[in-house]
Amino acid sequence: MFDESSGRMAGRAIAITTVSYVDDEPSAFASMLGGLIEANVEGRPEKKKDFDALQARVGIWVTDIDEGVTLDFQRGSLTVHNGLEPERDLTIRAEADTVMNLSNLKIGAFGMPVYYNQVGRAVALKLMQGKLRIDGLLGNLAMLNTVTRIFSVR
Amino acid sequence: MAAEFASDQWAAEFGEQINKSSVYKSAAKGWKWTVGLVIEAEPDKGFPQARALLMDLYEGEARSVKMGTVADAQQCAFIITAPYSRWKEVVKKQLDATKGMLQGKLKLKGDLPTIVRYTKATQEVAECSTRVAVEWPDER
Repeated sequence: MFDESSGRMAGRAIAITTVSYVDDEPSAFASMLGGLIEANVEGRPEKKKDFDALQARVGIWVTDIDEGVTLDFQRGSLTVHNGLEPERDLTIRAEADTVMNLSNLKIGAFGMPVYYNQVGRAVALKLMQGKLRIDGLLGNLAMLNTVTRIFSVR
Repeated sequence: MAAEFASDQWAAEFGEQINKSSVYKSAAKGWKWTVGLVIEAEPDKGFPQARALLMDLYEGEARSVKMGTVADAQQCAFIITAPYSRWKEVVKKQLDATKGMLQGKLKLKGDLPTIVRYTKATQEVAECSTRVAVEWPDER
Protein backbone atom coordinates (compact mmCIF):
# COMPACT_ATOMS: atom_id res chain seq x y z
CA MET A 1 0.00 0.00 0.00
CA PHE A 2 2.74 2.41 0.88
CA ASP A 3 4.88 4.20 -1.61
CA GLU A 4 8.54 3.76 -0.68
CA SER A 5 9.50 6.88 -2.59
CA SER A 6 7.30 8.99 -0.39
CA GLY A 7 9.66 8.61 2.52
CA ARG A 8 7.09 6.31 4.12
CA MET A 9 4.90 9.24 5.08
CA ALA A 10 4.20 11.94 2.56
CA GLY A 11 2.88 15.17 3.94
CA ARG A 12 4.91 15.14 7.15
CA ALA A 13 8.56 15.72 7.74
CA ILE A 14 10.27 13.02 9.76
CA ALA A 15 13.40 13.97 11.56
CA ILE A 16 14.13 10.70 13.31
CA THR A 17 13.61 7.21 11.99
CA THR A 18 12.40 5.05 14.83
CA VAL A 19 11.03 2.24 12.70
CA SER A 20 13.05 -0.33 10.81
CA TYR A 21 12.09 -3.32 8.72
CA VAL A 22 13.72 -6.73 8.96
CA ASP A 23 12.67 -7.96 5.54
CA ASP A 24 14.30 -6.71 2.37
CA GLU A 25 10.84 -6.25 0.94
CA PRO A 26 8.42 -5.30 3.70
CA SER A 27 4.88 -6.31 2.86
CA ALA A 28 2.37 -3.57 2.11
CA PHE A 29 0.77 -4.24 5.47
CA ALA A 30 4.12 -4.07 7.29
CA SER A 31 4.96 -0.78 5.57
CA MET A 32 1.57 0.60 6.40
CA LEU A 33 1.66 -0.28 10.09
CA GLY A 34 5.26 0.83 10.45
CA GLY A 35 4.52 4.09 8.65
CA LEU A 36 1.41 4.69 10.70
CA ILE A 37 3.17 4.15 14.02
CA GLU A 38 6.11 6.28 12.91
CA ALA A 39 3.79 9.12 11.95
CA ASN A 40 1.86 8.85 15.21
CA VAL A 41 4.97 8.79 17.35
CA GLU A 42 6.77 11.63 15.60
CA GLY A 43 3.71 13.85 15.51
CA ARG A 44 2.36 13.32 19.03
CA PRO A 45 4.50 13.72 22.19
CA GLU A 46 2.11 11.67 24.34
CA LYS A 47 2.45 8.74 21.94
CA LYS A 48 6.22 9.15 21.83
CA LYS A 49 6.27 8.82 25.60
CA ASP A 50 4.39 5.53 25.38
CA PHE A 51 6.60 4.39 22.51
CA ASP A 52 9.78 5.15 24.45
CA ALA A 53 8.53 3.11 27.41
CA LEU A 54 7.12 0.10 25.59
CA GLN A 55 8.95 -3.19 25.39
CA ALA A 56 6.73 -5.74 23.74
CA ARG A 57 6.51 -8.12 20.84
CA VAL A 58 3.10 -7.82 19.23
CA GLY A 59 1.68 -9.84 16.35
CA ILE A 60 -1.17 -8.61 14.20
CA TRP A 61 -2.82 -11.06 11.82
CA VAL A 62 -5.45 -9.90 9.33
CA THR A 63 -7.68 -12.90 8.93
CA ASP A 64 -9.41 -11.96 5.67
CA ILE A 65 -6.24 -11.22 3.72
CA ASP A 66 -4.04 -13.85 5.40
CA GLU A 67 -1.30 -11.37 6.14
CA GLY A 68 0.31 -10.29 9.32
CA VAL A 69 3.22 -8.60 10.98
CA THR A 70 5.20 -8.78 14.17
CA LEU A 71 5.94 -5.46 15.83
CA ASP A 72 8.98 -5.62 18.09
CA PHE A 73 8.89 -2.55 20.35
CA GLN A 74 12.16 -1.97 22.17
CA ARG A 75 11.82 1.20 24.26
CA GLY A 76 12.09 3.88 21.59
CA SER A 77 12.56 1.77 18.50
CA LEU A 78 10.35 -0.54 16.49
CA THR A 79 11.37 -3.40 14.27
CA VAL A 80 8.72 -4.67 11.88
CA HIS A 81 8.74 -8.24 10.59
CA ASN A 82 6.60 -9.63 7.79
CA GLY A 83 4.42 -12.40 9.23
CA LEU A 84 4.16 -13.74 12.75
CA GLU A 85 7.43 -14.35 14.54
CA PRO A 86 7.76 -16.50 17.68
CA GLU A 87 7.81 -15.30 21.31
CA ARG A 88 5.07 -12.72 21.01
CA ASP A 89 3.59 -11.15 24.11
CA LEU A 90 0.32 -10.30 22.38
CA THR A 91 -1.27 -11.44 19.15
CA ILE A 92 -4.26 -9.68 17.67
CA ARG A 93 -6.27 -11.52 15.03
CA ALA A 94 -9.05 -9.71 13.22
CA GLU A 95 -10.48 -8.80 9.84
CA ALA A 96 -9.11 -5.79 7.97
CA ASP A 97 -12.02 -3.54 8.92
CA THR A 98 -11.56 -4.33 12.61
CA VAL A 99 -7.83 -3.67 12.43
CA MET A 100 -8.63 -0.27 10.93
CA ASN A 101 -11.19 0.31 13.67
CA LEU A 102 -8.57 -0.51 16.30
CA SER A 103 -6.47 2.31 14.95
CA ASN A 104 -9.50 4.58 15.16
CA LEU A 105 -10.23 3.92 18.83
CA LYS A 106 -10.52 7.16 20.73
CA ILE A 107 -8.28 7.46 23.77
CA GLY A 108 -10.14 8.71 26.80
CA ALA A 109 -9.47 9.48 30.44
CA PHE A 110 -6.35 7.97 32.00
CA GLY A 111 -5.18 6.89 28.55
CA MET A 112 -7.83 4.21 28.29
CA PRO A 113 -9.31 3.31 24.89
CA VAL A 114 -12.95 4.35 24.64
CA TYR A 115 -15.29 1.45 23.98
CA TYR A 116 -18.63 3.24 24.39
CA ASN A 117 -18.69 5.27 21.16
CA GLN A 118 -19.58 3.88 17.72
CA VAL A 119 -16.07 2.69 16.84
CA GLY A 120 -15.45 1.30 20.33
CA ARG A 121 -18.73 -0.58 20.35
CA ALA A 122 -17.93 -2.10 16.96
CA VAL A 123 -14.57 -3.31 18.30
CA ALA A 124 -16.15 -4.67 21.50
CA LEU A 125 -18.81 -6.49 19.47
CA LYS A 126 -16.15 -8.17 17.31
CA LEU A 127 -14.40 -9.24 20.50
CA MET A 128 -17.60 -10.76 21.87
CA GLN A 129 -18.34 -12.47 18.54
CA GLY A 130 -14.87 -13.99 18.49
CA LYS A 131 -14.02 -12.10 15.31
CA LEU A 132 -11.37 -10.17 17.22
CA ARG A 133 -9.05 -12.47 19.13
CA ILE A 134 -6.32 -11.27 21.40
CA ASP A 135 -3.92 -13.97 22.57
CA GLY A 136 -1.74 -13.19 25.58
CA LEU A 137 -4.16 -10.69 27.06
CA LEU A 138 -4.01 -12.23 30.52
CA GLY A 139 -1.46 -10.21 32.47
CA ASN A 140 -0.82 -7.90 29.53
CA LEU A 141 -3.83 -5.60 29.61
CA ALA A 142 -1.74 -2.51 30.33
CA MET A 143 0.53 -3.46 27.43
CA LEU A 144 -2.47 -3.79 25.13
CA ASN A 145 -3.68 -0.33 26.16
CA THR A 146 -0.25 1.14 25.47
CA VAL A 147 -0.10 -0.53 22.05
CA THR A 148 -3.62 0.75 21.31
CA ARG A 149 -2.63 4.30 22.24
CA ILE A 150 0.43 4.16 19.96
CA PHE A 151 -1.57 2.57 17.16
CA SER A 152 -4.53 4.96 17.37
CA VAL A 153 -4.68 7.94 15.06
CA ARG A 154 -7.22 9.63 17.35
CA MET B 1 -27.10 4.95 -20.27
CA ALA B 2 -23.77 3.62 -19.03
CA ALA B 3 -20.77 5.93 -18.99
CA GLU B 4 -17.46 4.80 -20.39
CA PHE B 5 -15.02 4.06 -17.56
CA ALA B 6 -12.64 6.96 -16.85
CA SER B 7 -14.55 9.29 -19.17
CA ASP B 8 -15.61 12.82 -18.26
CA GLN B 9 -19.21 11.60 -18.00
CA TRP B 10 -18.20 8.78 -15.64
CA ALA B 11 -16.25 11.22 -13.44
CA ALA B 12 -19.20 13.61 -13.29
CA GLU B 13 -21.63 10.82 -12.35
CA PHE B 14 -19.20 9.52 -9.75
CA GLY B 15 -19.11 13.00 -8.19
CA GLU B 16 -22.91 13.13 -8.20
CA GLN B 17 -23.07 9.82 -6.35
CA ILE B 18 -20.65 11.09 -3.71
CA ASN B 19 -22.76 14.19 -3.18
CA LYS B 20 -25.90 12.07 -2.87
CA SER B 21 -24.37 9.95 -0.10
CA SER B 22 -25.39 10.92 3.42
CA VAL B 23 -22.97 8.28 4.72
CA TYR B 24 -20.08 10.02 2.97
CA LYS B 25 -21.21 13.46 4.10
CA SER B 26 -21.14 12.32 7.71
CA ALA B 27 -17.97 10.19 7.52
CA ALA B 28 -15.95 12.84 5.68
CA LYS B 29 -16.65 15.67 8.08
CA GLY B 30 -13.31 17.42 8.51
CA TRP B 31 -11.79 16.04 5.29
CA LYS B 32 -10.27 18.86 3.23
CA TRP B 33 -7.75 17.29 0.89
CA THR B 34 -7.58 16.48 -2.79
CA VAL B 35 -7.34 12.89 -3.98
CA GLY B 36 -5.95 11.60 -7.26
CA LEU B 37 -6.80 8.09 -8.41
CA VAL B 38 -4.25 7.00 -10.99
CA ILE B 39 -5.50 4.36 -13.39
CA GLU B 40 -2.48 2.70 -14.96
CA ALA B 41 -2.66 1.65 -18.58
CA GLU B 42 -3.36 -1.92 -19.63
CA PRO B 43 -3.36 -1.82 -23.43
CA ASP B 44 -4.31 -5.50 -23.71
CA LYS B 45 -7.50 -4.71 -21.82
CA GLY B 46 -8.50 -1.77 -23.98
CA PHE B 47 -7.10 0.87 -21.64
CA PRO B 48 -4.06 2.09 -23.57
CA GLN B 49 -3.10 5.22 -21.68
CA ALA B 50 -2.90 6.01 -17.95
CA ARG B 51 -5.44 8.52 -16.73
CA ALA B 52 -6.33 9.99 -13.38
CA LEU B 53 -9.48 10.87 -11.57
CA LEU B 54 -9.03 14.13 -9.71
CA MET B 55 -11.25 14.63 -6.70
CA ASP B 56 -11.57 17.85 -4.76
CA LEU B 57 -13.31 16.66 -1.61
CA TYR B 58 -14.08 19.11 1.15
CA GLU B 59 -16.02 18.65 4.37
CA GLY B 60 -18.19 15.82 3.07
CA GLU B 61 -18.79 17.37 -0.33
CA ALA B 62 -17.31 16.58 -3.72
CA ARG B 63 -16.55 20.09 -5.00
CA SER B 64 -15.11 18.75 -8.22
CA VAL B 65 -14.56 15.29 -9.69
CA LYS B 66 -12.97 15.23 -13.12
CA MET B 67 -10.55 13.31 -15.29
CA GLY B 68 -6.98 14.52 -15.73
CA THR B 69 -3.45 13.37 -16.32
CA VAL B 70 -1.14 11.42 -14.04
CA ALA B 71 0.86 14.64 -13.63
CA ASP B 72 -2.30 16.37 -12.38
CA ALA B 73 -2.81 13.57 -9.86
CA GLN B 74 0.71 14.02 -8.52
CA GLN B 75 -0.36 17.44 -7.26
CA CYS B 76 -3.03 15.91 -5.02
CA ALA B 77 -2.56 15.44 -1.27
CA PHE B 78 -3.42 11.75 -1.57
CA ILE B 79 -2.66 9.57 -4.56
CA ILE B 80 -3.93 6.03 -4.98
CA THR B 81 -2.46 4.10 -7.87
CA ALA B 82 -3.46 0.80 -9.43
CA PRO B 83 -3.73 -0.77 -12.87
CA TYR B 84 -7.00 -0.56 -14.78
CA SER B 85 -8.05 -4.12 -13.90
CA ARG B 86 -7.61 -3.51 -10.14
CA TRP B 87 -9.86 -0.44 -10.29
CA LYS B 88 -12.35 -2.52 -12.21
CA GLU B 89 -12.34 -5.02 -9.33
CA VAL B 90 -13.01 -2.19 -6.86
CA VAL B 91 -15.87 -0.77 -8.92
CA LYS B 92 -17.35 -4.25 -9.38
CA LYS B 93 -17.09 -4.90 -5.61
CA GLN B 94 -14.68 -7.77 -6.17
CA LEU B 95 -11.97 -5.97 -4.19
CA ASP B 96 -12.59 -4.10 -0.97
CA ALA B 97 -10.67 -0.81 -1.00
CA THR B 98 -9.35 -1.22 2.56
CA LYS B 99 -8.13 -4.74 1.93
CA GLY B 100 -6.68 -3.64 -1.39
CA MET B 101 -4.61 -0.98 0.34
CA LEU B 102 -3.45 -3.34 3.11
CA GLN B 103 -2.41 -5.87 0.47
CA GLY B 104 -0.64 -3.29 -1.66
CA LYS B 105 -2.98 -3.88 -4.58
CA LEU B 106 -3.92 -0.22 -4.35
CA LYS B 107 -0.83 1.87 -3.65
CA LEU B 108 -1.36 4.88 -1.45
CA LYS B 109 0.80 7.94 -1.21
CA GLY B 110 -0.18 10.43 1.45
CA ASP B 111 -0.38 11.01 5.16
CA LEU B 112 -1.28 7.63 6.69
CA PRO B 113 -2.88 8.73 9.97
CA THR B 114 -5.24 10.97 8.00
CA ILE B 115 -6.34 8.26 5.59
CA VAL B 116 -6.78 5.77 8.46
CA ARG B 117 -8.89 8.32 10.33
CA TYR B 118 -11.18 8.49 7.32
CA THR B 119 -11.41 4.76 6.56
CA LYS B 120 -15.21 4.85 6.52
CA ALA B 121 -15.25 7.80 4.12
CA THR B 122 -12.77 6.02 1.85
CA GLN B 123 -14.96 2.92 1.83
CA GLU B 124 -18.03 4.98 1.01
CA VAL B 125 -16.27 6.69 -1.92
CA ALA B 126 -15.50 3.22 -3.25
CA GLU B 127 -19.14 2.27 -2.68
CA CYS B 128 -20.28 5.37 -4.62
CA SER B 129 -18.22 4.23 -7.59
CA THR B 130 -20.24 1.02 -7.70
CA ARG B 131 -23.46 3.01 -8.17
CA VAL B 132 -22.41 4.46 -11.52
CA ALA B 133 -23.43 2.44 -14.58
CA VAL B 134 -20.16 1.74 -16.38
CA GLU B 135 -19.18 0.61 -19.84
CA TRP B 136 -15.83 -1.22 -19.65
CA PRO B 137 -13.42 -0.99 -22.58
CA ASP B 138 -12.58 -4.69 -22.37
CA GLU B 139 -16.25 -5.73 -22.35
CA ARG B 140 -17.37 -3.94 -25.47
